[in-house]
Amino acid sequence: MTDLEIKWPDDMAEQTRVAKGRIERAGEALRAMPLEERLRLVCMVLEDWTKADSSWRRELTVAYSEASPFHEETVREGLDAALRAWRPDALHECARRELSPILDSAFLALAPFEWTAVLAGGDLPMTTLHSGVLPLVLGSPVLMREASGDQITAKLLKRSLETRSQVLAAAFESISFSTEDVAFEELLTAPCVVATGSDQTIRSISDRLAPHQRFVAYGHQFSIGLLGSQFVLGQDSLRELTNDFALDIVRWDQTGCLSPVVIYLVGLDPTESSAFANSLTQSLNLYHEKSPRGALPTATQANLANEVAEARMRQSNGTSMLFEGIDSVVTLESDATNRPAPLHRFIRLMPVATLTALRECLGPFAGRLSSVAVSGFAPDEDEELQELLARLGVSRITKPGHLQTPPIDWPHDGMPVFSPMTRFIQSD
Amino acid sequence: MKRSEIEEEVLAWMSELTWATDDARFKKLALALFKYQYDHCEAYARFCQALGRTPDETHHFADIPAIPTGAFKEFDLCCFDIASRIKTFQTSGTSTDRRGNLHLDTLKLYEASLLASLRRNILDDLVGQRPRMRFLAPDADEEPNSSLTHMFETLRLAEGGPASAFDLHDGLLDLAALQEAVSAAGQGDAPILLFGTSFAFVHFLDATVDSAADDWRLPPGSRLMETGGFKGRSREVHPKMLRDDLARRFAIPETNIINQYGMTELGSQFYDSTWLDGSGPRRKLAPPWTRVRIIDPMTRQDVAPGEEGMIVIHDLANTGSIAAIQTADLGRWVPVKSGEEPGFNILGRFNGAEERGCSIATDIMLEASGRT
Repeated sequence: MTDLEIKWPDDMAEQTRVAKGRIERAGEALRAMPLEERLRLVCMVLEDWTKADSSWRRELTVAYSEASPFHEETVREGLDAALRAWRPDALHECARRELSPILDSAFLALAPFEWTAVLAGGDLPMTTLHSGVLPLVLGSPVLMREASGDQITAKLLKRSLETRSQVLAAAFESISFSTEDVAFEELLTAPCVVATGSDQTIRSISDRLAPHQRFVAYGHQFSIGLLGSQFVLGQDSLRELTNDFALDIVRWDQTGCLSPVVIYLVGLDPTESSAFANSLTQSLNLYHEKSPRGALPTATQANLANEVAEARMRQSNGTSMLFEGIDSVVTLESDATNRPAPLHRFIRLMPVATLTALRECLGPFAGRLSSVAVSGFAPDEDEELQELLARLGVSRITKPGHLQTPPIDWPHDGMPVFSPMTRFIQSD
Repeated sequence: MKRSEIEEEVLAWMSELTWATDDARFKKLALALFKYQYDHCEAYARFCQALGRTPDETHHFADIPAIPTGAFKEFDLCCFDIASRIKTFQTSGTSTDRRGNLHLDTLKLYEASLLASLRRNILDDLVGQRPRMRFLAPDADEEPNSSLTHMFETLRLAEGGPASAFDLHDGLLDLAALQEAVSAAGQGDAPILLFGTSFAFVHFLDATVDSAADDWRLPPGSRLMETGGFKGRSREVHPKMLRDDLARRFAIPETNIINQYGMTELGSQFYDSTWLDGSGPRRKLAPPWTRVRIIDPMTRQDVAPGEEGMIVIHDLANTGSIAAIQTADLGRWVPVKSGEEPGFNILGRFNGAEERGCSIATDIMLEASGRT
């Protein structure tokens, strides 16, 4: 007898190969289109998604609300705010800014990748939309593996592309399978791979790619708030400020990389800190009325219960303060010792005496911080603050209430928007 | 009741050969212990007061406030003058981690509990016969603050034969010594008992992957106990896969592989049922001087059998610290037939287990705070 190994054809791998063949063919028509035309069409599609009465956004809101654990109002508000911050003209300007050496040069030209594999990560729709359209502008067709928690956005994007351009639509396909599938290996043969995911996922993909393949990786990060002592303690202004911070916390129930997990209180005295914590709790309660926290799995409930119990233990022994809202938790810690962030509307306030002390406690997060919401600092502290955050690799500094609504040309993970996803060729 | 009186009764319970659930006995001791701990551990008393629970108004053990295990990293939760401690067990972690401390002024209950459980759940037919035992763990010289090492050493002294020893030194598995012990046991056709951490057994499997089928065959009646998680220590292996691989490598039935659920903060441990009850579902059995609750994290009410919930344990062996412990684990009661001993399964830890959107903030914060 001989050992006979029978390999059954993998259906998903086969589908991926076929899809890849289709988009490669579609890529020829895409590249035949001038860059300016591709950019114009993508901006039109973007306009369709971002305008005030966007039917695509409405459809996504309904479908995504049904499929995700978020409350419908959280989805509606989150999508409205995020997508309306994406101005098509900003994308146009960004493309001109980044690609002008090519557009204006007689010697340089774009050499688009034959195709781009996009491995969508995270469960929020914006990443899918963003990474789905950018390669199309650059003339590279996209084969996207949908995020496990969002099997809706990519399909809607495809349909929206169809209404504006058959060429663009043909150059975009999405599929869904797990990272263990043979189909995944097929996707990793792309000359350009764009991925969002955890360190482990990014490392695992990177290990499987050849040096000649382009790999654009967006890692898992988190965001924070910084409140300086110059904030005004008056009732109205304090409530306005905490409403803004609360908005950043409740959006997507704090589960995105743009969600703040800690607000550092820099140089505030205990009375100010306590007033801020109190007001923030009330602001979070107000949001509960409009958009309550979504359903939580048991593991998340247990994690939250555990962190609350630990905070209560510290509070009862005088080392922190616990403010329990209707569906949120604020802890005012006694120091800036790093603690777990259970998310889902659980925010820690941590006091630090000075910017120097802040530098020290943020040190371990270098490269992990995405965006920072800043308020209450004197103008003469701005430069030091900016230098500090730049050193830590922060890619966006903004005001409270704006953490989750970056403009479309925001340098995600500190990278330019377009140029990492393409190649240039020079003719002397 | 004085602490000494409570301990005397708990020790008496531990010495009984037959495990019998006795609600009235447990309640009496649990409430007495709660009062003692409330009166003698200030940090715990303040926690109870914050919850509005005092011993005078607590009439059921389930109402006794449970301390989250993380609190052991921040407070010295003991009911005696810290100067009189004779041992401190520390939770595992790297050198930069904050570790939890369990201070003890007596080891009597800890040792009585562990021996009673091991004798009943793993050694029932070998008590007094001093079988050969090998421990895939560091010895007490290397890990003086490890509760697991102390448990193994206590077991070795109480029940182990002369050829019993530790086979993990400076992080390296002494395969030669282990193989010699296995061969010797095989020649005498006497069962050998292997104990160790799950990650040590994974290292063993990796190191012996090229061995021949019979190289590690254990004599009939041999058995293996594994415990602990994997995080940061070795590649992670699903518990069932680990058992299957170990059963194949050692040529023993899978039912002879017994997982232990325990933690530094507890004086008692919980063992798989499979040695005692090879035909029933695999489940963790609880000693009668403990009570396991699986609760809804939000309502804190007991969940129905089969539903997942947060594990809370009341352990009367914890006389000098806190008896009611809220663990960081999810569990589920296993449905059993009438007459079968009830038991539960561990579904894993909930801290940082969930991937959230594009954020993995908990893991990052955990890393930075040394709480992995």
